[in-house]
Amino acid sequence: MAPKAEAPAAVFPKKQKKNAENINSRLTMVMKSGKYVLGYKETLKNLRNGKAQLVLIAKNTPPIRRSESEYYAMLAKTGVHHYNGNNIELGTACGKLFRVGTLAITDPGDSDIIRSMPAETA
Amino acid sequence: MGKIMKSGKVVLVLRGRYAGRKAVVVKTYDEGSTERAYPHALIAGVNKYPKQITTRMGKKKQESRNKLKPFLKVVSYSHLLPTRYTLDVTFEKANINKEALKEPGKKRRASLEAKAKFEERYKTGKNRWFFTKLRF
Repeated sequence: MAPKAEAPAAVFPKKQKKNAENINSRLTMVMKSGKYVLGYKETLKNLRNGKAQLVLIAKNTPPIRRSESEYYAMLAKTGVHHYNGNNIELGTACGKLFRVGTLAITDPGDSDIIRSMPAETA
Repeated sequence: MGKIMKSGKVVLVLRGRYAGRKAVVVKTYDEGSTERAYPHALIAGVNKYPKQITTRMGKKKQESRNKLKPFLKVVSYSHLLPTRYTLDVTFEKANINKEALKEPGKKRRASLEAKAKFEERYKTGKNRWFFTKLRF
């Protein structure tokens, strides 16, 4: 995706906040109604057997792990969303009291995260 | 949303004696088995890569440097890194299978077959990436 810094500042911060809220609310929907796996090992497992439908990676995951998850997702033809926040925030967004660096959604449930997110993100 | 591990896929071995080597998945066991309760695969890989040859070398020297040493192993998926490459080499299911790896005689025959198939493919010049050592 094109870096957001190029647009006029007045418009931008609003749009970013809206996007962040969007993904958070969609994530809570998935946590409530869908199926997901948290953690690097489980996401790789689900990518290998083709069950993962969307992979979310926190911003502060180490670059090797991040590119490895992206590569697996590319092989599995699964979308990847780079969550705009670190693993603490991603854990909070999932409603958990621990950090989550990588997570995979296997069944979105009532959420439209799969349909809408890949359109907005890289 | 596709399965990644399929036979014919080129894979890097991440752990063990053969760590860093390239291998082909011969057969996958997604559901595990009685002996191994985890998803694993039978892979055939290159243990010793063929050496570089140049035009200055004589024919005999080139032939001796075109040899490679294979390995066969049953490895868990978590110790493999799949790549986007594939190597479509058909192995004889009768010779190369999990049971063959348990008996020394059968195992030797299986590695000889893997060696022959790999060297044949190497000589055609295709799949060059597979036969080059991964530098790390």
